[in-house]
This record gives sequence, structure tokens and C-alpha cells, in this order.
Amino acid sequence: MLYLCEVTDVAEGASKRIDLPERPPLAVFHLPTGIFVTDDTCTHGLASLSEGEIDDGAVECPWHQGAFDIATGKPCGAPCTIPLRTHRVVVSDGKVFLEE
Amino acid sequence: MHTIRLAGGPAFGCADGDTVLRAGLREGLGLSYECNVGSCGVCKFELVEGAVEDLRPDAPGLSERDRRKGRRLACQSRPTADCVVSMRLDDAVRPPVRPQQRTAVLEAVRPLTQDMSEFTVRTDGAADFLPGQYALLHLSGLGAPRAYSMANTANPEGIWQFIVRRVPNGAGTAALFAMTPGAALSLDAPYGQAYLRPSGRDVVCVAGGSGLAPMLSIARAFAEGPADDRRLTLYYGARTARDVCGAAELAALPGFGTRIRYVPAVSDPDDGFAGRRGFIHTVMAEDLGRRFDNCDIYCAGPPPMTLALEDLLIREAGIPADRLRFDRFF
Ligand SMILES: Cc1cc2nc3c(=O)[nH]c(=O)nc-3n(C[C@H](O)[C@H](O)[C@H](O)COP(=O)(O)OP(=O)(O)OC[C@H]3O[C@@H](n4cnc5c(N)ncnc54)[C@H](O)[C@@H]3O)c2cc1C
Ligand code: FES
Ligand code: FES
Repeated sequence: MLYLCEVTDVAEGASKRIDLPERPPLAVFHLPTGIFVTDDTCTHGLASLSEGEIDDGAVECPWHQGAFDIATGKPCGAPCTIPLRTHRVVVSDGKVFLEE
Repeated sequence: MHTIRLAGGPAFGCADGDTVLRAGLREGLGLSYECNVGSCGVCKFELVEGAVEDLRPDAPGLSERDRRKGRRLACQSRPTADCVVSMRLDDAVRPPVRPQQRTAVLEAVRPLTQDMSEFTVRTDGAADFLPGQYALLHLSGLGAPRAYSMANTANPEGIWQFIVRRVPNGAGTAALFAMTPGAALSLDAPYGQAYLRPSGRDVVCVAGGSGLAPMLSIARAFAEGPADDRRLTLYYGARTARDVCGAAELAALPGFGTRIRYVPAVSDPDDGFAGRRGFIHTVMAEDLGRRFDNCDIYCAGPPPMTLALEDLLIREAGIPADRLRFDRFF
């Protein structure tokens, strides 16, 4: 398991970008339904999704306002068509880990 | 004439009847867009002040959420008053050639397959565009223009060539295929980001069905360019053997057989085609031995084909996003 951050680092309704060596940047989202981790880079362009607005379980890309369902990575707003990669997380003792 | 001001940015004029997007591009502004017909959702903006008419209220480019948040499509918004709009500018997408509206005359129609024809159109003044770009054709009797990619290359004579596939029950293609030489139309061009960029790498063109035109334009420009050791391969995917086209056009290019190759494939498994079988993105990947590191890839065709290519090249093979260029044909 790979440590990402503390749960308290990401307020509910917010997100945080995590840069780890040797892998694409990740975005940690804190939704009412739990903590979710996806790739941070939009599959349409090169925008950072952790800078996007979170709206009803979806994240809107700050660049062309395309959207993805955070839990599944499914595109849910044009121009996004390629699914976003989602990652399995484990929350333990107030810490967020990536399940590898 | 109305004035459009970008919040915190420049102001520009918008001629009567023009859209927010096209007026901005005519001024050389770097406004993001792709399709120009309301489908891709790239040209979203927010209206801060003023009023616009929505030309396509059910445009697929806007989601319910977009509408709820008051977002609009710049390519489908026609100002009815002076406006202030919130839109991002991006220098990387500044139009290399500013689009212009021109009157045109249909000069010739040449059938290529059972449902595809080449249309040659002439305008006064030069045909000024980059290989891979498209034009908006305003045809009489149609409420909205249709996008068609040029198949030739820029020329001072004002010749624009298009290759169009007749779509069953399609209003635009019905109007176009009913036209005879001498007919007048209006041509607004050039548009599109998927144009040939200079690079030291090989060029791979992937065309499906109606996507032949822009790939042919890129191949023609490549053939007209310096005869260096770079190579170009055009992969053309058709459903049946009767739908395959482009071979004669490619074979006519200098360098064909040495620097330039043509690889057609047919996807219908029951067809008697003697060449390669399968979806064109798979045929291309096999032919290249799945080595995509030394090439720029251009593609044009139906959205499922471009989606399959994006998935294969960007998600699976991890090529940098700027090595794959396309405008989806909605
Ligand atoms: C960038 C681009 C390049 C293209 N290049 C080619 C090409 O080289 N060759 C080719 O054969 N096809 C091309 N197409 C497809 C072409 O533009 C048409 O979609 C196709 O010919 C079908 O048109 P139709 O009018 O016959 O069908 P219809 O079903 O009548 O119309 C289909 C298309 O027309 C547009 N449209 C319909 N109603 C409206 C409306 N109210 N407002 C705005 N737009 C509307 C939409 O794009 C829609 O998808 C291209 C499309 C795009 C986006
Ligand atoms: S870069 Fe994310 S929607 Fe375009
Ligand atoms: S929706 Fe406006 S450019 Fe595609």
C-alpha cells in the first residue's frame, strides 16, 4: 500500500493533487460517500482535475468543463470521451493509501 | 454588427448573423473549439452581459449540468446585442489562417464509390488553408452549415475539393448531392486543429469512411514537401470492398511506393476483399508492430473510430497527446 495523504488534508467536497515519483499525478476526492482516487490529468487535454469543480459526484474539468463520474471514472460531459482511470483506496487510521 | 468583449480581455466585432466563436476566430483570437456544429462541447462559455440567440438548443455538446450552470456553446450562439462573455484564451489554438466567409460555385462532381463523391468548388481569391482543415458549407434550404474537410492543398486559384459520403436521410448530404455544376453556395473557411504540423517524424494517417478527405490533403502536402527520408502511410478503413477508395489518388503522388504507402482494410468479415481485414485502428497498430514512438498520427472519421484510436494510442500505448491529432466527424 502506498501512502497518499491524511484524510484531514482534503476537506469534504474538495480534492487534492498528489505527485508521486515515477507515476502520473493522482487526484484525491473527498465526497460525502467516501474518499476516491483517480488520475489527476483530464483525458481530453492536459488540465489538472484537482483544480476542477466537484458537483454531485462528478468532477468538472477546469479547461473545457468536460466531466467525469468520480467513483467510476466514466465520462459524463462533453468533450470528455475516454474514461478516467480510477484507483482503489484504503482509509486506515485517518490516512489515505493506494491499494496496489 | 455587435461588439463582444471577453471579460478581462480584448473586444471584437461580430457581423450580423455570425456566431461568437467564428467572430472571435476571424479576429485571430485563440478560442478553443473543434467541430463548429454544437457536438463536441469544446467551445463552452458563459454570457456575462448582453443577449444571444441559441441556434441549436438541443446541441449534444452541452450536458444537463452545463445548461443548469448557464453555460453556452460559442459556435451556436449568435449575439442579438452587445455582449460580455467569459471564455478562456489559449495561444496554442490561435487560428494559423483566419477564417473568412466567401461565395462559391460548384464546378464539378466526380463519383468515387457507391456513396462517396468528390465535389470541386471555386471561390474568388486564393484557397487559403492548411492540410487537414475543414470548411463550413452553407447550402440553400438548410438552417445550419455542414462541416467538410478539404481533400486538396492550398492554391492561388481558389479551388476547394471535398469528399463527401452520402448519409441516408441526411439533410445536408441530400442537398449537396442534388446540386449540379454552376450552383452557388457559401463557404466559410478554414477551421480545425488537426492540420499537418512540421516535425522530423514519420506521418501516419488513419481514415475511416468519410474521413478520407483531410488525410488525403495531408498526404498531398507531404508529397509536395521536401523529399527527405520521412515516410507517410495512409490507412483507410471501409466496411466492404466496394467502399474502399483513395488508392488512385495516393498512387498519383510523387514518392508513392517509396516514401508514401496506402494500406486499405475492410471490416465486414463476410466480404470477398482480398486485402487486410479488421478495424482500421487494429490494422494500423499491427502494421506498425505497435511502435508509435517515431510518428505523428492524424486521423479522421466517425466518432467510434477516433475514440478507439484515442484509447489505443493515448491510454494503452501512452503516446504524448500532441502526437495524435483529429477533428471528430459528428
Ligand atoms: C470537423 C468535421 C469535418 C467533417 N468532414 C467531413 C468530410 O470530409 N466528408 C464527409 O462526408 N463528412 C464530413 N463531416 C460530417 C458532415 O459534416 C455531416 O455531419 C454529414 O455529411 C451528415 O450530414 P447530413 O446533413 O447529411 O446529415 P444530418 O443528419 O441531416 O445532419 C447531421 C449533422 O449536421 C449538423 N446539424 C444538424 N442539425 C443541426 C443544427 N440544427 N445546428 C447545427 N448543426 C446541425 C450536425 O453536425 C449533425 O451531426 C465532417 C464533420 C465535422 C464535424
Ligand atoms: S482538458 Fe479537460 S475537458 Fe478539455
Ligand atoms: S460544440 Fe462548438 S465547437 Fe464543437
